[in-house]
Amino acid sequence: MPDMAALAHPQQRQFNPYSENGGTILAIAGADFSVIAGDTRQSEGYSIQTRYAPKVFRLTDRAVLAVNGFAADGNMFVKKVKQRLEWYRHAHAKDMPLRAIARLIQTMLYARRFFPYYVYNILGGIEEDGTGAVYSFDPVGSYEREACRAAGAASSLVQPFLDNQIYFKNQRPAAGTSHPAHLPLPTVLSIVIDSFTSATERHIEVGDGLEMYVVLAKGRTLQGLEGIRGMQELTATEDGERVFIVRRDLKRD
Amino acid sequence: MNTFVQRFAESSATKQILAGNASVVEDDDFSDAAWGSEAGFGSLAKGVPSFMIPSVPDPASFLRLHTDDHADPSCRIKIQHGTTTLAFRFQGGVIVAVDSRATAGSYVASGTVKKVIEINPYLLGTMAGGAADCQYWETYLGMHCRLHELRNRERISVSAASKYLSNLVYSYKGMGLSMGTMICGWDKTGPAVFYVDSDGTRLKGDLFSVGSGSTFAYGVLDQGYRWDLTDAEAQELGRRSIYAAGHRDAFSGNTCNLYHVKENGWEFIGNYDITSLHYDGPGNVAGSPGHGYGYELRVEGHSASNPPPEVAQAITAEA
Amino acid sequence: MFLTRSEYDRGVNTFSPEGRLFQVEYAIEAIKLGSTTVGIRTPEGVVLAVEKRVQSPLLESSSIEKIMEIDSHLGCAMSGLTADARTMIDHARVTAQNHAFTYDERIKVESATQAVCDLALRFGESVHDEDAMMSRPFGVALLIAGVDELGPQLYHTDPSGTFMRYDAKAIGSGSEAAQSELQDKWHKRMTLSEAQKLTLRVLKQVMEEKLDQHNVQLAQVTPQKGFEILDEVKLQEIIEDM
Repeated sequence: MPDMAALAHPQQRQFNPYSENGGTILAIAGADFSVIAGDTRQSEGYSIQTRYAPKVFRLTDRAVLAVNGFAADGNMFVKKVKQRLEWYRHAHAKDMPLRAIARLIQTMLYARRFFPYYVYNILGGIEEDGTGAVYSFDPVGSYEREACRAAGAASSLVQPFLDNQIYFKNQRPAAGTSHPAHLPLPTVLSIVIDSFTSATERHIEVGDGLEMYVVLAKGRTLQGLEGIRGMQELTATEDGERVFIVRRDLKRD
Repeated sequence: MNTFVQRFAESSATKQILAGNASVVEDDDFSDAAWGSEAGFGSLAKGVPSFMIPSVPDPASFLRLHTDDHADPSCRIKIQHGTTTLAFRFQGGVIVAVDSRATAGSYVASGTVKKVIEINPYLLGTMAGGAADCQYWETYLGMHCRLHELRNRERISVSAASKYLSNLVYSYKGMGLSMGTMICGWDKTGPAVFYVDSDGTRLKGDLFSVGSGSTFAYGVLDQGYRWDLTDAEAQELGRRSIYAAGHRDAFSGNTCNLYHVKENGWEFIGNYDITSLHYDGPGNVAGSPGHGYGYELRVEGHSASNPPPEVAQAITAEA
Repeated sequence: MFLTRSEYDRGVNTFSPEGRLFQVEYAIEAIKLGSTTVGIRTPEGVVLAVEKRVQSPLLESSSIEKIMEIDSHLGCAMSGLTADARTMIDHARVTAQNHAFTYDERIKVESATQAVCDLALRFGESVHDEDAMMSRPFGVALLIAGVDELGPQLYHTDPSGTFMRYDAKAIGSGSEAAQSELQDKWHKRMTLSEAQKLTLRVLKQVMEEKLDQHNVQLAQVTPQKGFEILDEVKLQEIIEDM
């Protein structure tokens, strides 16, 4: 027998295909490298679903994509981008350049303008001219090339830190000196690590593990990457750009 | 009135969407263009790209529920908003000036947005409303302008380009697009500015400002606007108006991007930090007043926050 | 060769027992009726030249258009039923613009050529609801010239949808003589101006009329300036220089 009292109230139902899985991603471009990082915690509400769900993916030897937001949409989106990259390789006999990937991502996101992917994308890598680049996207595809960008749950904690450390916002150089145009790789890596350890301290949805991808332009030295703990090379081809991953633990509470 | 019109008007896109709804909604978020050259699957000039629609009775209200609207800042998907943009026609061409702030709710999502979209070397579009809507459709417009030029062996007029865009967004009316743009250029008729928005409005005019800060920009613009402005005066007026909006509208700010459309196409004049404009002015550029736009300078020694020296001394002594 | 007609002549896409598609082969023959068109690739760029047959003194020779722009880095010259080329070139233009829209880069010369060739065999009976089917093969051959990250390139397409890359290629009525002349004269380090003169010299040999700036059209694609059709003044200079 149905509860007649409950049925007496009007009920409204909605199609809600979205969820929010926390976590944070960021990317920083250097003169001839790019660092793309994300934590590995995946949560829903206050429960942690898994401590290892990658949010950063290697697309080609010179492009890495970080996705954040609704994990199911994110994973599907990455899968479709990879599919398009492969088709492009078959049709045009070359790997898709970074700026082409950026535009492709815009068109793919915008194709879902009326049923958006709930994902924030950050694309990092090396351009055709050998410079490091970062592209950031909103869920429906507006994009911009930047020097650095944080997105996701703790973006409002991390972005101001990056503004200060990368863009030197609200910093005045000491007399007779000037701010460097580009930071060296080891400095960038420690800024990334500090960003995530700090975000882990102050945001409940960030933590567990950190994955940092480093893309190095063609023919560059390791630039101090040799000594980094937990570093692993992922490059598939010789004499092209090189891709590395650095894994670190973050607090698990 | 809009709802009345909507009830009786069924635009082509809505029809397409309703039809798509009835049939399967499968993986067609890309067309045959997937192959790039469309190798093997040439589309003979398919009109508009296809969009995936959720299979619910009312896709538009689904979208409204999940994406941020000014009415509901609590929803999940934040689309970048907030702006001041302006464009005006004068004797020396068209001045286009915009700010560079994007906000998601009260968070400054970016301070470096390019709100002037370079459609091609002689057409500019401005961005207000949904960043993606403007970027995507104005790039799309650029593609069609190029095709027009290849097919007709002459550049598209500003009027035709703006009409193309206007018709395009009108076909999506009621679906939730948000776009307020000025299409600026120089054609056979001289300098031209058209205002186009996602409601379907298209207006030809001399002077427009769009966005949350437009009222502030209009204040400065209207009092300084003349047809026979020199290039330097016009550029300064554009800069000064965006500064005013950046100063008074919380949703606008960061920097000002200034463009000048001349007979042979547009020229990027510069990027100006709005805080620097306040204290130091635009620097050594044409039309610069040589000092900051802020009124500290004009009230020095007279205002409460910046009192005359003897008053200041008295206050210090009292403390 | 084609004197004996057979039943395999009737259907446009019926193979003969020897494995031939007669209608496609006839279409290739149609090109040999077209005006001569020459293309030469050099390290500095690609040159295209066509003969304009001015059939009547009352004809406005400037209205004959046999070289067309596909995009700023791609050009195309045609020979045969030039009306058919309009469809193909419009398709190439749309494809090039679509590519630029989706990938923010210029389409490769080979990809654009491939796109044009995709149209070639869309004749005959239509498959379910596919649109834009043609009743017969195209009767035109194209020389597609362009510059991309692989440098200047020249492609030849024919009605069968086959495309091949050439250093120098002649099509149309005078193509046999022209091609052997090209084979003699072409060399690896040719400059652009040498190529301009060679194309005109080759055309001059095969043309019935006396060559002047009104009855030929010359275009080039260079890495610096992209596609351009040379105006009559420039053309006259080159002719005088020959």
